[in-house]
Amino acid sequence: MATVIQIIFGLIAALVVGAAVMVVTVRNVIHAALWLIACFFGVGALYMLLEAEFLAVVQVLVYVGAISILILFAIMLTRQVTGEGVRQLVGGWRLWLTAAISALLFAVAIVPTIISHAWNLPAPPGPPGTPEPLAGVAELGRAFVYEFLLQFQVAGVLLTVALIGAIVIAFEERARRRRVLTLAEEYELRKRLAQPPPVEAPAGEPAPAPRATPISEGEAHQ
Amino acid sequence: MYDIIDALLNRTLGLSWPGWIIALISHLAVTTLLFVIAPLQMLFLTYYERRAIARMQDRIGPNRVGPAGLFQPIADGVKMFTKEDIVPTAADKWVHFLAPCVVVAPTMLMFAVLPWGPGMVPTDLSVGLLFFFAISSISAVGLLMAGLASSNKFALLGAMRAVAQMVSYEIPAVLSLLAVVMLTGTLSVVQVIEAQAGLFISRADVPGIPDLGLGWFIFTPVGFLAFVVFFIAALAEGERTPFDIPEADSEIVAGYMTEYSGMKFGLFYLAQYVLNFLLCAIAAVIFFGGWQGPGVNWLYAQAISPANPDGNWVFNILAGFLGVFYLLAKTYAFFFVMVWVRGAFPRLRVDQLMDFGWKFLIPLTLVNIVSAAIWVALLRWGPEQGITFTQSWAPILRWGVAFVVTLAVNVGAYIALARIFAAAQAGQGRIDLDEYRDTLTATLR
Amino acid sequence: MTAAVPLEAVLVVAGALFCIGLFGALSRRNLVGVLMGIELMLNAVNVNLVAFWRYLEPRFITGQTFAIFIICVAAAEAAVGLAMVIAIYRNWLTVNADAVDSLKG
Repeated sequence: MATVIQIIFGLIAALVVGAAVMVVTVRNVIHAALWLIACFFGVGALYMLLEAEFLAVVQVLVYVGAISILILFAIMLTRQVTGEGVRQLVGGWRLWLTAAISALLFAVAIVPTIISHAWNLPAPPGPPGTPEPLAGVAELGRAFVYEFLLQFQVAGVLLTVALIGAIVIAFEERARRRRVLTLAEEYELRKRLAQPPPVEAPAGEPAPAPRATPISEGEAHQ
Repeated sequence: MYDIIDALLNRTLGLSWPGWIIALISHLAVTTLLFVIAPLQMLFLTYYERRAIARMQDRIGPNRVGPAGLFQPIADGVKMFTKEDIVPTAADKWVHFLAPCVVVAPTMLMFAVLPWGPGMVPTDLSVGLLFFFAISSISAVGLLMAGLASSNKFALLGAMRAVAQMVSYEIPAVLSLLAVVMLTGTLSVVQVIEAQAGLFISRADVPGIPDLGLGWFIFTPVGFLAFVVFFIAALAEGERTPFDIPEADSEIVAGYMTEYSGMKFGLFYLAQYVLNFLLCAIAAVIFFGGWQGPGVNWLYAQAISPANPDGNWVFNILAGFLGVFYLLAKTYAFFFVMVWVRGAFPRLRVDQLMDFGWKFLIPLTLVNIVSAAIWVALLRWGPEQGITFTQSWAPILRWGVAFVVTLAVNVGAYIALARIFAAAQAGQGRIDLDEYRDTLTATLR
Repeated sequence: MTAAVPLEAVLVVAGALFCIGLFGALSRRNLVGVLMGIELMLNAVNVNLVAFWRYLEPRFITGQTFAIFIICVAAAEAAVGLAMVIAIYRNWLTVNADAVDSLKG
């Protein structure tokens, strides 16, 4: 049984790391986004293997079902007019420097620290084969309203602020695009342009009342 | 299924294979069964819909191929298999090829948590309900892939609209289910069904109700409002009229499916019908008790089950058949309502569609969550959560008070929100013609 | 799982994912590509946290809550970041990181 789990873990790890390498190296940014989705799936599978089921489902729901769609929408709306000839990665010595930094970080800083550290793993609760008591969804729900209530509310405020902020930043002014008039509205406008516009009295008369009725009638017939 | 295969192989045939091989075989058997059932459901549903919509439109519908046209879906399948598979030259080959797979695969995966009868669920995930909707959100990625890879402006526009619609209506669907999750306290689909035993009043609310399998959530105000919102959101998720902008032939060619022909188009078609079947089935499961109905629990109590290992296997089969019959009857009834809505309503414009989802359905679901909280507080909470005034009441009185209060809150909120939404929609059409007078004077003269 | 796969293996996978994400964020020219690298790094951190939860303290839910908060923050950051990318595209008609340099020098 242990070998089966090791094989499954190896496959999932290969998927995650392989998809990540493809994300950062392919030229076409749409393909990179699709490899990113594959990587998210791999990470979700890893959570499932680590027995964090709720987190695995949330990973698929949020990352694959929402953030990936957001990324694909952004790619769709920002297609370069010059086509795919644009270089996707920085050129020359900068690329090698970045790769060297990443590789060194991994090989010299991260891996030795992980391997040499003495993780104080807890002793197994009973003879091998007894299921460990794992915290599940119910404990998660209770934690969100008892211990982590403040963080939960702050996360809600953060998401609301991000939602409003994203709308404001990417907002396209409606007034910039003129709406096309319907036939009825255009007819109405022509009719009223045919009459000379009323002269504005210096005393500042209120808007002439008889004009209000044709508007509502004309639009009520639409 | 594990127990059946285990009994078959280890006890009857005398082999003693280890546990994981039995688990593997049982899972493979269940998967094969589901992969056979899903397309058969889809074939039957296409025939059912075409006949029903034809009768509503004063036509007859397919009645030539086979007795009463029953083999029409097979003829459709043959047609789709034999059509030429055209891929545009400028299209992105691999993405174009994978998009139908990414749209169909989640619909098959969603069968994994659907219970067909008592004890007949492929896998009882502790987060089954959330799994169902998480997986359904993956097909939106496939739609975008189809639109992006086709190198066709209509396909791109259609894909963006389809994805905007699907993503927007996921929220009311999941929030309306949140109310039901609050009522049952669990995300597992099997436990949601088991909480609906009773007679118009769930056993979990008022213990002591005779068990006729009719304690469905639809009979509570919270469940009723949640069902209405969920059904409308399911219409939008499954891209059915009045939300079928993505496949509105008169408007946008075929939307994201424009550049697909032959079997790839057939896969999109399959995905749509299977998704609609699953949405109807999950609505039946959550709000109408799924396989719960008069007699099923009584039969299953005497069958072989984890709680009763020395039951009689005949009762397993009887309970299974009755449970599947109830589930399919409810599912096909909802699918008929979907076809009925298709025959009766015109299509919504895409901005009307988005407004309806975001500005009407979502506030309604949020109010429903508050109602669900009131229900749970009145019925399940006691002194340790701080509610002491309900301790002296009889359970049926607590149920009655909760029913009246949540009914008042839901109806009041519905009326208020409907009025606000109608006023907002009516005010949108007005255009101030004087604003345009000056700018258009030159063009009109 | 804890008996079969050592903790170090999962942490090394998370570390590799983090370094690949770092490489992507630093070397990609397309702004959306940079954001994809950032998402990879956030996922690596999440894998790390969940591994620690499972191997060291599986009875308490704190590790998973931290991971869920990181997912929330990543979603918010992706939304705002991509909105900015769209706003940049609207003004400069390009999302090449080298071309958006009017504050330079």
